[in-house]
Amino acid sequence: MAHVFALVQAAADSAAAYRDFPVIGSRAAIWIAAEIHLMFAAFVLGVPIFAVVAEAIGIFGKDQRYDRLAKEFTRLLLIAYSATAIWGAVFVFLLSTLYPRFWAYLTAIFGVSMWVYVSIFFFESFTLYLYYYGWDRWKQGRAKIVHWCLGILLNIWGTAVMFIADSWLTYMMTPPRDITPETSPASIKLWHAILNHTWMPINIHRLIGNVVFGGAIVGAYASYRFLAAKTDEERAHYDWMGYVGNFIAISALIVLPFAGYWLGREIYQYDQSMGITMMGGFMSWLWVIQAFLIAVLFLAGNYYLWVGMGRIPGAERFRPYTKWLLVVLVLGALVWGTPHTMIADSRELAAMGGSHHPLLGALGVMSAKNTAVNLMILSTFLSFLLYRRANIRQVVPWAKTGTRIQAAMFVIAAGVVLFFGIRGYFVEAIVRIGYSVYQVGAVLACIVFVTVIDVLMARGAQSLGAIQWGKMPPRSQYALFILAVTFTWLMGLMGFARSGIRQHWHVWQVMQDTTPYAATPALGYAAIMISTCVLIFLSLVGFIFWLGGLAEKSTFVPSTEAPHVGH
Amino acid sequence: MWATNLRIIGIVLGTLALYTLIANKIPQVQSEVPHALTLGANVTPEQLVAAGDQLYHGAGGCTACHGLGTRAPNLLTDEKGLGPIGARCGKREAGKDCKAYLYESLTSPRAYVVSGYEPIMPEMGRILSPQQIWALVAFLESQSGTVDVTASDIPAASGPAASAAPAASGGGGPGIAGGSTEPMTIIRGAGCTGCHKVGTEGGAIGPNLTHVGSRLSAALIRECILKPDTRVAKGYEKFVGVMPKMFGNQLTGAQLEALVQFLSSQK
Repeated sequence: MAHVFALVQAAADSAAAYRDFPVIGSRAAIWIAAEIHLMFAAFVLGVPIFAVVAEAIGIFGKDQRYDRLAKEFTRLLLIAYSATAIWGAVFVFLLSTLYPRFWAYLTAIFGVSMWVYVSIFFFESFTLYLYYYGWDRWKQGRAKIVHWCLGILLNIWGTAVMFIADSWLTYMMTPPRDITPETSPASIKLWHAILNHTWMPINIHRLIGNVVFGGAIVGAYASYRFLAAKTDEERAHYDWMGYVGNFIAISALIVLPFAGYWLGREIYQYDQSMGITMMGGFMSWLWVIQAFLIAVLFLAGNYYLWVGMGRIPGAERFRPYTKWLLVVLVLGALVWGTPHTMIADSRELAAMGGSHHPLLGALGVMSAKNTAVNLMILSTFLSFLLYRRANIRQVVPWAKTGTRIQAAMFVIAAGVVLFFGIRGYFVEAIVRIGYSVYQVGAVLACIVFVTVIDVLMARGAQSLGAIQWGKMPPRSQYALFILAVTFTWLMGLMGFARSGIRQHWHVWQVMQDTTPYAATPALGYAAIMISTCVLIFLSLVGFIFWLGGLAEKSTFVPSTEAPHVGH
Repeated sequence: MWATNLRIIGIVLGTLALYTLIANKIPQVQSEVPHALTLGANVTPEQLVAAGDQLYHGAGGCTACHGLGTRAPNLLTDEKGLGPIGARCGKREAGKDCKAYLYESLTSPRAYVVSGYEPIMPEMGRILSPQQIWALVAFLESQSGTVDVTASDIPAASGPAASAAPAASGGGGPGIAGGSTEPMTIIRGAGCTGCHKVGTEGGAIGPNLTHVGSRLSAALIRECILKPDTRVAKGYEKFVGVMPKMFGNQLTGAQLEALVQFLSSQK
């Protein structure tokens, strides 16, 4: 085996190291192919996760709506899957022809895992075909359970494929420390290369990120169908579908920063200078843009919920609270977006009156930012809670006590977040970093315990009226579009951050990029590239959705059932 | 329906345009590639300073920390009343002139961590060529100091991690510390005591080497010098990656063996 790789390496070494791509250059060509492939891949990995969850709710909750929803998700998946494969092939062909020596280097280390990848991809495809085309055939009794297990198997294949691909890109970022420019790639053990510093943090971050992304795209699909609906029943169905997509996207988004924090910590532990480049070096402005995008996500997600409360009888009780939630969200977003350590020239420093702004500088540090984002997460969770409880009145005898306990939990969590946020200003950095764990822990504990209490309190609850699905103003649907565009753009931006911190290295401090495109571009150029990729991706997704509607009728069936009551 | 479609397209394009516009309105900073520096035998101090200036503000990435006031000392402006770096570098370490101090600060930054700051600076010898490092030394000296870097300081070979020790710190010959095989001279010359304690000398960032021979065999000590991250002493996990991996290139075979024998005898 090693002999074969050595031959591959020798052949590559004798060839040109690089070739250029006409007009846009090789870096832009690779950027577009990789980015769009990743966007489709995120969609086809995220959607099966909640398709299988929706099917389970349908089976075990005996609610056919969820089963139909799962099938409709899977139908979208089928066409998106081939687009993923096509863009994957484009990416591989471009990489192997434009960067042949680097490609040979990667294959010398990861060749075996690439074969495994292809095999699993093959199994994944056929599991998907079975899953979708067997839907109506295996819809009763034990056969339905077997069908659901196929969905789980599909997710296992998908996750395995992602984990393998992640090992390649994380190796480029954080190759094991004993590997040097002199190390022959053929001598590097495959498992040693896979088990690099950032492999598992990226795996987990992407797993959650894919669910967020899939939810957002499905939400956009549902909103399009809602706006195009011709009947009230159809409108009600897609209103509900949009709600589920948004719920999944925002729920997973709440967990995503914690996974991102783990990834950032691993990058710092691997190489301080890489961490500094990412957070305080030439990429420092990127985090201000990220804060703006996340603020848009939180505001749009909450806005959709608040508008949605208009169709829920009984929700008017909670409406006065929404303006305070908005205040917390806006203040949180402003603090999160406050710059702190920026590269500035002497003129800018003089204008600012020092290395930091005398007033706002105190808000730009991590103590303030962690506090802000945790309070934003708590506020969004409270929005969900109010939405959940909007049309019910609890009848359990301990309902008032339960609500007070829930309120106390919110106060305690917010208190813990504020306490450690303020205390962080008075301790050393290494202690301060540890405080964010307490803040995150308090927020997560609050979310878990409040949810458990809420579920128990809702037992046998009295309904104040059915949710009037479909009675949503169109502006709420446009919020779902903004969410989908912003999620997609944010994914492109964070991809740029992850890849860009390698700077002029194909493999960090092991293999240097010596092309004319080796310099890592500024954010302006990156933004143009990201917007181009997002536009191509969304155009293709729009075409796929249109095709899906053309080829097959929606799984929506005009219902003879009673109107939907639950969430 | 067309009106709805157009509205959707408008919202998508508008959102993309807004994000692109914001990203283009903020300061545009590109991460440059450190270009190989070719300095001839007749290079002047002015040329060295100009090259160092470019590196400092560009590919060297120095401004990411220095000058911001919190992560690392100010170098181009006053630091705690001592003036810019050129004015204070000669007074930092007794018996060490400005040139030697700056060179070692760049290649073994953990040897001289200024009080109040954390040891976060990467070894620039892993990132920049010796020529580039000398250009940086000249530029830093020029900040209210006297530039005394000359062409004779700069080794002919270039490339990251192929650095040579400065004449002022006892270098000049093959290997570290002029090729000396006296263990403590090697240890001091290689900057080991910047992190490790050996006897009464040294710091506490890395494991204490005073009795290292009772913990590790000669083979393991050799491995730890050549591949520092393959074995990590308990309690020092967070310092993985800190120890340079260049000693295999810098030490001569005789120096490496002398060092290994010396350390394995420290029981």
